[in-house]
Amino acid sequence: MVDGSKILISTEDLGLVYKLGRGKGKSKNPKAATLTALRDVNIGIREGEFVSVVGPSGCGKSTLLYILAGLYRNTSGKAFIHGHEITGPSLDRGIIMQAYALFPWRTVEKNVEFGLEVKGLKKNERAEIAREFIELVGLSEFADRYPYELSGGMKQRIAIARALAYDPDVLLMDEPFAAVDEQTRTLLHDELLRIWDKTHKTIIFVTHSIDEAIFLSDRVLVMTSSPGTIRDEIEIELPRPRNNELKSSELFGTYRNKIWQHLQSSTDSTREVTTILGRHILDTVPQEAVI
Amino acid sequence: MEELELQEKKPNILLTLYQKSILIVVLLILWAVVPLYLHNIYVPPLGEVLQEFAKLASTGELFKHIGASLKIALIGLAISQALAIPLGVLIGWFKKIDTYLDPLLVVMRNTSILAILPLFVLFLGIGEVSKIAIIVWGCFFPTLINTIQGVKTVDQNLIRSAQSMGISTTGLFFKVVIPASSPYILAGFRLSASIALIVLVGAEMVGAFYGIGFMIFNAQHAYMIPRMYVGILTLAILGVLVNLLSTKLENSVLRWQETNTNAV
Repeated sequence: MVDGSKILISTEDLGLVYKLGRGKGKSKNPKAATLTALRDVNIGIREGEFVSVVGPSGCGKSTLLYILAGLYRNTSGKAFIHGHEITGPSLDRGIIMQAYALFPWRTVEKNVEFGLEVKGLKKNERAEIAREFIELVGLSEFADRYPYELSGGMKQRIAIARALAYDPDVLLMDEPFAAVDEQTRTLLHDELLRIWDKTHKTIIFVTHSIDEAIFLSDRVLVMTSSPGTIRDEIEIELPRPRNNELKSSELFGTYRNKIWQHLQSSTDSTREVTTILGRHILDTVPQEAVI
Repeated sequence: MEELELQEKKPNILLTLYQKSILIVVLLILWAVVPLYLHNIYVPPLGEVLQEFAKLASTGELFKHIGASLKIALIGLAISQALAIPLGVLIGWFKKIDTYLDPLLVVMRNTSILAILPLFVLFLGIGEVSKIAIIVWGCFFPTLINTIQGVKTVDQNLIRSAQSMGISTTGLFFKVVIPASSPYILAGFRLSASIALIVLVGAEMVGAFYGIGFMIFNAQHAYMIPRMYVGILTLAILGVLVNLLSTKLENSVLRWQETNTNAV
């Protein structure tokens, strides 16, 4: 969408290899001692761009996101933001998780204030900013509620408000709408695009839904697993603002087929049996079940 | 927008009150009536016990005992919680500490408190110090175990979410780990508070000049049976009050929890 603008986030031959086993010296099968979650990932995300990463469960797309967030450490290659190497988490990146991760003991407003507290803002400043972003996601009347009183969709909107409140340069979204029902998801898509349009944030959006990726993004990165790597990237040239009719358009279908084929052709090689390890790496679900 | 207020069925207060109190009331009536026909010196009727209660209350003697007991219980409880909660957080958080300390803690908490009571008396005398120490010992473990459990089970997503905002380790402890484990910590506290009273009576057996425990045993030795019952009754009431208060505390601190239905 914004061709020629500055690269905000990039990676250079990024890789992550997990050591398996409990480090007990003599492993019976030395080959099983490591697992390559990511290999040679090279991406460049432009400022203000909406990029989706789509791929089957266990392909390492969430792992990639967590490395960009600074929460996981890569074992090879490099990741950059603003040209500086990413070495840990920071308020210039906001992460939004599938499980919302709202603090249940804090009201909606206090949740949104969390990052601002970490930032060291004064109480009245915090409250003012928090209210602004709660209003942005349309939940002003719920400012004093606790998370348990909200529906899944509302919780995720609050999580978005919380991340936006401390003004990061990029939102890293990890399958944020996977846990809500279909109708809510459609509403949240419109909501997210509206917020994106208003805030001009760069968004990296991880999903296993091809349609979701196409509908939202300027560009879709297709990831395949074992090892997790970027197979292809597809510029989405659907007009904006986007509406639901686009989903039945011919162009949308072309994109869908293209991505689908990429994922299909790699299916056979990804069905290996592996030990359950971390949360994001090794869900050995057959791909057809997920995509 | 979803409708959030769920219409709750208003329970009939009178009915609930009846259901909850009927058994106790029946027992009290039995206690008031049956001994009149039993003529057993060990089972004085409730009326006689209440008379004694009123007498002890009016002379202020009862309150002197209650005061002495509560003071020791509260000091012991406070010290034990001040030790158990921070230590529990550390053990729950740092795996290394857990590995080293866990076996010792298992031994310590599974050794009967009555068995080590003489040890405390031997080293600390029969004064207040040994009583406080034994209460600290008794109240320490429930809160410690609960805190460890709470910290170990903190939702990793919450920790990651806070870390993604670049929070400091201290900040993470105070803003995430402790509040997230607070349901466990408070459950431990509630348990500890009632244990404080139980242990107290044991401690006052060993040697004291005031306190409810002392009053009960002293009365028993002197065959002042109604007085003994007054002591037991007082303890029962205190126990219920302590439970009521700590449940209230728990509910008000944990009002952010969805299923906040701790029975009294």
